[in-house]
Amino acid sequence: MSPAPDPALPVPALAGFPPEVREAFQRYRTDGDTTAAEKVVIAAAVDYRPAGAGVARAVTDDTRLIEDLGYDSVAVAELAFFLEDVFDMTISNEDILAVRTIADLRGCVMRKLAGKAGAA
Amino acid sequence: MNPVVTGVGFITPIGNDRDSVGLSLREGRHGIERVEFLGNPDLPVKVAGTVKGFNVESPRWREWTWPSAVHIPKDVVRGLAPHGVYAFCAIEQALSHAGLRAPDIAGDPSTGLYCASAGSAMLLHHNVAQMRAARGARGNPLGVVSSIAGTLNFNLGAHYGIIGNVCGFVSACTSSSHALGYAVDDLRLGRLDRAIVVGAEELNADSLLPFAHMRALSGCADPGTASCPFDVRRNGFVGAGGAVALVVEAPAAAAKRGARPLAEASGWGQAADGYSIAASHPEGAGLRLAMERALADARVGPGDIDLVSAHATSTPVGDAAEAIAIARVFGGRGLHPVVSATKGLTGHSLSVSGVMQAGFCILSISGAFMPGNPHLAEAARECDGLELPRATVARAPARILSNSSGFGGSNVCHVFSAPGRFTG
Repeated sequence: MSPAPDPALPVPALAGFPPEVREAFQRYRTDGDTTAAEKVVIAAAVDYRPAGAGVARAVTDDTRLIEDLGYDSVAVAELAFFLEDVFDMTISNEDILAVRTIADLRGCVMRKLAGKAGAA
Repeated sequence: MNPVVTGVGFITPIGNDRDSVGLSLREGRHGIERVEFLGNPDLPVKVAGTVKGFNVESPRWREWTWPSAVHIPKDVVRGLAPHGVYAFCAIEQALSHAGLRAPDIAGDPSTGLYCASAGSAMLLHHNVAQMRAARGARGNPLGVVSSIAGTLNFNLGAHYGIIGNVCGFVSACTSSSHALGYAVDDLRLGRLDRAIVVGAEELNADSLLPFAHMRALSGCADPGTASCPFDVRRNGFVGAGGAVALVVEAPAAAAKRGARPLAEASGWGQAADGYSIAASHPEGAGLRLAMERALADARVGPGDIDLVSAHATSTPVGDAAEAIAIARVFGGRGLHPVVSATKGLTGHSLSVSGVMQAGFCILSISGAFMPGNPHLAEAARECDGLELPRATVARAPARILSNSSGFGGSNVCHVFSAPGRFTG
């Protein structure tokens, strides 16, 4: 079993995110709260959307990364790397190519986290 | 017809706008401060030409800050290196000065972008370390575009929608002089109507300390005297960061939109030493030839030059070589133009050097003054016959010769002329 990360340590990748997102991540780290982890995933998906993508709308499960949030291939790669870095996991090309919507993205990350927890 | 400069933007150790830079140059105010790198007070680098008003020390863009008047979209800043933030701010200023807005140049086939940068050693190191920590399994998708030497062209070309051409120059301390030179040629050849020229460098342990290991930096701890070009006490350059941007236009294109020419880019020349990877030719042979070629290209003689903006970085070998070269071009004909070495005030910002001097030349022409050499106490023997005033000369230069020299023996010189004294 790998040692649990110290929840008191700041996560540099989350600097600049709203306090509630950083707090959610701490809850995930300390309590394994997967709802809190989902909050971080959605905040990241909103954060990495290209600026020129038009008016932001409310993000729901059905919101599509490319068609609705204006993602391009570079922004998708950035989002995937951010999530890999924050959650210390690997998202393969196949994984990310299968992601169309926010629900897909959340499901992808949650499956990875469940796999990590199982492996630990 | 020679191109004209219609806008300048400055992020420099001596000011982040035209007015403050001009005042610093006139009053001989330097922008050098005490610094400490990597928490090691024992390093022999004690001072540097720092950029104020920014915090781009972290490898993580989310921790960066820059002047609030400049809006850099989040999806743009993510791809930038720290010096890309400086470059962005300098270009915004230059466009505004030229009376242009970003939408005016987006998608314009007659606008090109000419960049000079050595890349970001800090981000390259950070990104590669991150990749190695993950045993190659993952890395920052923007690691390449944010850190290698083309980072300015990649990011700024895309952001501003530049379609005339986008290019970058890597010739060490002549990089931005090369960028300006090839922009001038493209404008003269009618390939473009407008060029944005920008040079930028960051200042951090990764960018600067390797020069200390070459024994190229001053170990002097006094910000007021460490950079003293042409002085007998000079003992190495003082590192600096920053960015300078110019808008250069074909005269007809500038006139068509009612832009005011600040100066003419009258001609340029280059030559190489073929001598050493880093040291100048002892008698400045390549620099002398580059000066002569620039004068010939501008169709002027040495007697037409009022001011020489020296490259002089305060190194023992480089300054001596330049002094000899200047003396041979001018002194040999009984001419003594004012020689001004502004790195005494700014330190040496490497890739930015040439375009920073070009920006200072524009301010000298429009502000009718020639900067002095306030850190010069005792001129070195090689400077005999050079006119090196300590204080600012309150006289308008009609024509300026601006020198740049870089590693590998690269030398590039430009001639700038006051409006109304055009040579074209």
